Amino acid sequence: MAASFANTQVSGKVATRHVAQGRVAPFRATGVRKTAGAQIPSSFFAGVSVPQRVFAVSGARSVSRAVQTVFAIKDGAVLEGRKLRVAVIGGGPSGACAAETLAKGGVETFLIERKLDNCKPCGGAIPLCMVEEFDLPLEIIDRKVTKMKMISPSNREVDVGKTLSETEWIGMCRREVFDDYLRKRAQNLGATVLNGLFMRSEQQGSDGPFTIHYTSFADGSKMGTPSTLEVDMIIGADGANSRIAKEIDAGEYDYAIAFQERIRIPEDKMKYYENLAEMYVGDDVSPDFYGWVFPKYDHVAVGTGTVVNKTAIKQYQQATRDRSKVKTEGGKIIRVEAHPIPEHPRPRRCKGRVALVGDAAGYVTKCSGEGIYFAAKSGRMCAEAIVEGSANGTKMAGEDAIRMYLDKWDRKYWATYKVLDILQKVFYRSNPAREAFVELCEDSYVQKMTFDSYLYKTVVPGNPLDDVKLLVRTVSSLIRSNALRSVNSKSVNVSFGSKANDERVVVA
Amino acid sequence: MQSSLLNRTRGAAFKATRPNACSRSVVVVRATAEAVVEKKERRLSPLERGGTLSGDQAAGKDAGQKARAMATGTTGEATILQIVDGRFVDDRWIGGRWDLNQFKDSKGEVDWDKVIDAEVARRKLLEDNPIPSINEDPVNFDTSEIPWWAWVRRFHLPEAEKLNGRAAMMGYVLALFVDSLTGAGLLEQQESFLGKLALHICVFAILLVRTSSDLDKYKGLIDEATFYDKQWSATWDGVKRPSEAESQ
Repeated sequence: MAASFANTQVSGKVATRHVAQGRVAPFRATGVRKTAGAQIPSSFFAGVSVPQRVFAVSGARSVSRAVQTVFAIKDGAVLEGRKLRVAVIGGGPSGACAAETLAKGGVETFLIERKLDNCKPCGGAIPLCMVEEFDLPLEIIDRKVTKMKMISPSNREVDVGKTLSETEWIGMCRREVFDDYLRKRAQNLGATVLNGLFMRSEQQGSDGPFTIHYTSFADGSKMGTPSTLEVDMIIGADGANSRIAKEIDAGEYDYAIAFQERIRIPEDKMKYYENLAEMYVGDDVSPDFYGWVFPKYDHVAVGTGTVVNKTAIKQYQQATRDRSKVKTEGGKIIRVEAHPIPEHPRPRRCKGRVALVGDAAGYVTKCSGEGIYFAAKSGRMCAEAIVEGSANGTKMAGEDAIRMYLDKWDRKYWATYKVLDILQKVFYRSNPAREAFVELCEDSYVQKMTFDSYLYKTVVPGNPLDDVKLLVRTVSSLIRSNALRSVNSKSVNVSFGSKANDERVVVA
Repeated sequence: MQSSLLNRTRGAAFKATRPNACSRSVVVVRATAEAVVEKKERRLSPLERGGTLSGDQAAGKDAGQKARAMATGTTGEATILQIVDGRFVDDRWIGGRWDLNQFKDSKGEVDWDKVIDAEVARRKLLEDNPIPSINEDPVNFDTSEIPWWAWVRRFHLPEAEKLNGRAAMMGYVLALFVDSLTGAGLLEQQESFLGKLALHICVFAILLVRTSSDLDKYKGLIDEATFYDKQWSATWDGVKRPSEAESQ
């Protein structure tokens, strides 16, 4: 009995390798016959050393074929003779950081990325703490932004950044450079990077491995070759239009459409933007977001975004260009791009042994729309939870381990997300609210609090007396701004609740 | 002698501050002790006698911008709240802020209502016609330059008057109603606990619910305040968080 078990296990390993190389068609279990072994109740699964095996037999094929056996391994069972296999779908910041941590933790990792030189449309801003936490070399940072300008609907400009010290800055990077660095690092640590597009996955039973069908571009062809891969767990890191999320029925989320034009402007105008980023607020620029001018390595990116009125995005972009017209005069558009930005997490962020991280899970903050740091951090935390739950790849891990990551994530960052949500609800409601926002940002206490929480990702409790003064100033600013709104103003009021998009915008 | 020289220079200085160079400029003499002496020495013209007001007391009683310009034949048109060449121009908008000196009334105090009006108009104009933001034309005006009592007088007091009126009317009618039902007079009603409760409810309801759409607004606010939390907890539907399970 033991010998036969051993034999089947060895052939199982060979089978996996064969399947991974695409030589043998994946086995489809058409019938399942349980062994005559003891039915071990699930509550004992943690300590069982012999995995419960299920022999699936196909009527047509002979038993001697290598791919016959399918393992259903319960969570916590020790994996004999092999490491845990995890596929990370998507090689952006979240995928690459997850793959890196998994590989470091002793898990067999496959990172599937469809376009290795992808230039994802992005603001490209990374907070200071990310450089330290993720050991980023300063070479991948193109610019260090130390000044930000906020411009109100009535063109009141406020310089934000006077409280920053010499060593504090916001890094601007090129996504293709940034992503590539993280992927190569994961590869150097032992992850297998596969150039391919995920098509679909199948799981063989609720505790069995996943068979991932993907189109491999390894041969350099445009069409690619269909390939398969067998893994135990999947991390979906494939961004806002995640296919993994569709596979696990994770649910929909509201998203903003961010539209951006990259413009090469003359040298003297570029000098102004050397380490300065601008943020335009106003009804004309966006009803519920902001327009921006961010400096890239040799050009600027001018863009805007909206959730409620996506069809008018081109109008908002035109308005943003108009507002920054004088400062970007004589520029040439070199690229136009757009991308969805999630507004809140998906209803289900995990299912069985599949987890979602990064944009696929919907970890983008409100108000500022920041996603890179949270994507990378969630990838890392998910991988850490899997490494821990599987005892460095020696045991099978499952939904419990993934939920540990979800719980840890919620507890750690909920406060940050909620504060930004409140800021958005209060200050992006209407033009008077935006005027008050810009007016308040003039104050150094506000600037200090804002930058401390953005750069170091902790909600810093300030001096209580200053907080009370700030609250009074906020309320009075809002009251004044609303009082200054003309009686026959045609601006809009936006609400941020559960109503449908067209009901959320109301003319004042 | 000295005093007449002084008066003339003062008059010249006064003339220089007037924006319109009228050909028929009148040297308005200040009603100082020296001027009184002057009057005795030099008889005033018919235009200056017979109840004519002088100086600040006469200021602001002109026929109006257009008529004045036409009568004196000048085209000194004031620019008010215009967008010219993509820039906001107004005679009173200097250096990116409202020049409070130009809002002074006849007594020399700033008329804050006019400042508020001007800022409302500027914001409406820029809302309807957004202009590019120009580094050379910064906006430096902060609404906190307008003192708190100007805001209270202009915006809070009329509203407070309305609300007090409503509360008084509602209170009186309700008191009459309760009196007719229970026979308790006004003072007796206020001494009982239920009476005090009803009074509080009435006053706060009138404060908070001004129009019928306010109720929907509050429901909407509660929905807004809790929606994001619901979205975040959606993944824990029916599943206990490990941290909660531990603490139990």
